[in-house]
Amino acid sequence: MFSYSFMQYAFIAGTIIALVCGIISFFVIVRRLSFAAHALGHISLTGAAGAVLISMSAMTGQLIINIFAGILMGAFGDKIKKNDIAVGIVLTFFLGLGTYFLFLYQTGYSGSVMSILVGNILTVSLEQIYELLGLAIFTIFLLAIIARPLFISSLDPVFAESKNIPNKLLSMLLFIAIAITVSMACQVVGILLVFSLLIGPAAIATQWVDGFYKPIILSTIVSVVTVWSGIISAYYIDVPISFIITTIICGLYIIGILKNRFI
Amino acid sequence: MIKCSNLVLGHKNKSISKPINLQIPTNSWVGIVGKNGVGKSTFFKTLLNQLPPIAGEITIHNKRKIDVNNISYIPQERDINAEEKTSGLTLVKYSYKANYLGMPFFNKAFNDKLNYLITLTQTSDYISKPFKDLSGGQKKRVYLVQALINSPTILLLDEPLSDLDPEARHEFIGCLKQIHNQENITMLIISHDMKEISSQLDAFIHFKDGGCHYCDKMPCLKEDICV
Repeated sequence: MFSYSFMQYAFIAGTIIALVCGIISFFVIVRRLSFAAHALGHISLTGAAGAVLISMSAMTGQLIINIFAGILMGAFGDKIKKNDIAVGIVLTFFLGLGTYFLFLYQTGYSGSVMSILVGNILTVSLEQIYELLGLAIFTIFLLAIIARPLFISSLDPVFAESKNIPNKLLSMLLFIAIAITVSMACQVVGILLVFSLLIGPAAIATQWVDGFYKPIILSTIVSVVTVWSGIISAYYIDVPISFIITTIICGLYIIGILKNRFI
Repeated sequence: MIKCSNLVLGHKNKSISKPINLQIPTNSWVGIVGKNGVGKSTFFKTLLNQLPPIAGEITIHNKRKIDVNNISYIPQERDINAEEKTSGLTLVKYSYKANYLGMPFFNKAFNDKLNYLITLTQTSDYISKPFKDLSGGQKKRVYLVQALINSPTILLLDEPLSDLDPEARHEFIGCLKQIHNQENITMLIISHDMKEISSQLDAFIHFKDGGCHYCDKMPCLKEDICV
């Protein structure tokens, strides 16, 4: 299996993406941002469609538009609870813009935007791997700097406010990190299912362990193992990777629920 | 010492009080009473630097710049976004120096302080259990550990007794008494029900008719029906 270079690349890219997703999903869960993560996935489509229009790479387009949308969401949403409304408004605006881009591009519409929808890790190039690696290092570095205030302001916003912790700025920085991660993860699972990698691993981890480091480590393990299983299964049996990933995540989540309910 | 000179409280540019002049001695335990909307919580928020005063100034230990790490605040209401397994211990640990950047780490001095506070507040039986499963009184005591973990010199309590049953209330007051006796800390407590706690307090601040005054005994408050 590893004698094919496309499989090697798929594994490397998949591992990088899974690592970042595992870490960031913890913050998405504790900060209750699952809707925002979902929205950024969809907004990616607009970025990809717009980028193809002006013959840029789809991922660059996704990155730009996701970061822009992330900053908007962070700026509009004040309290963590009210965030959903801001996210919804930004999401629908960008989706509308995306349909307009697709409309403009109707004549030359090819598979490139379509492949963003469902993801295709088996076509990742070496160049893209470098890109992914750079983005991953940047994201993890950013999170490491803000981890401390970010965690407590997610867990106990009122306490954080009393310590003059800048909630809004932290939200914006986290949104930027999520935006980058979404653009990366779309390569594996696609826009439609990127959501599962962004919330699944930590949703499962927090069912089992308490604290800060423990759930992040467990979530990263879940994420990496899931993506590996997806790639391996796709090689041996002819099924889409994203289907395997979402199935594993859903299965593990159900196990966690049953465990907490009955044990 | 907390000193307020001609302090006018308010939101944005709308003032809600007359100029206030107060001196609260260090390490005293002071009750704050008055009707709803009279500015008690606003007073706390002004102390915490969350609302700038309309006029006048506050100095704490003769310093005009307020260091929020010296003040801990237990608000009346709040939501903790705890996950399935998130324990009170996690809440407390990650509240330590929460406004510092970087990854959180804990040394031995921190753990000693933590264990001391857990003993002081008698929370050892449940502080490691999932926070969402705790009772109201248990949560309140975990909040006390959280408030004290940064070794503040001032502790602000906003209606800490309001939603506790008599037994939990009694235990919580006992816990506050312990803290007052053993820690060097100035405690300000807003409460509508001072009956049980008044004998413990050193003094009162009575907010009334837009102003407030400092008094040593409960009797002067008796005229106010809300106390």
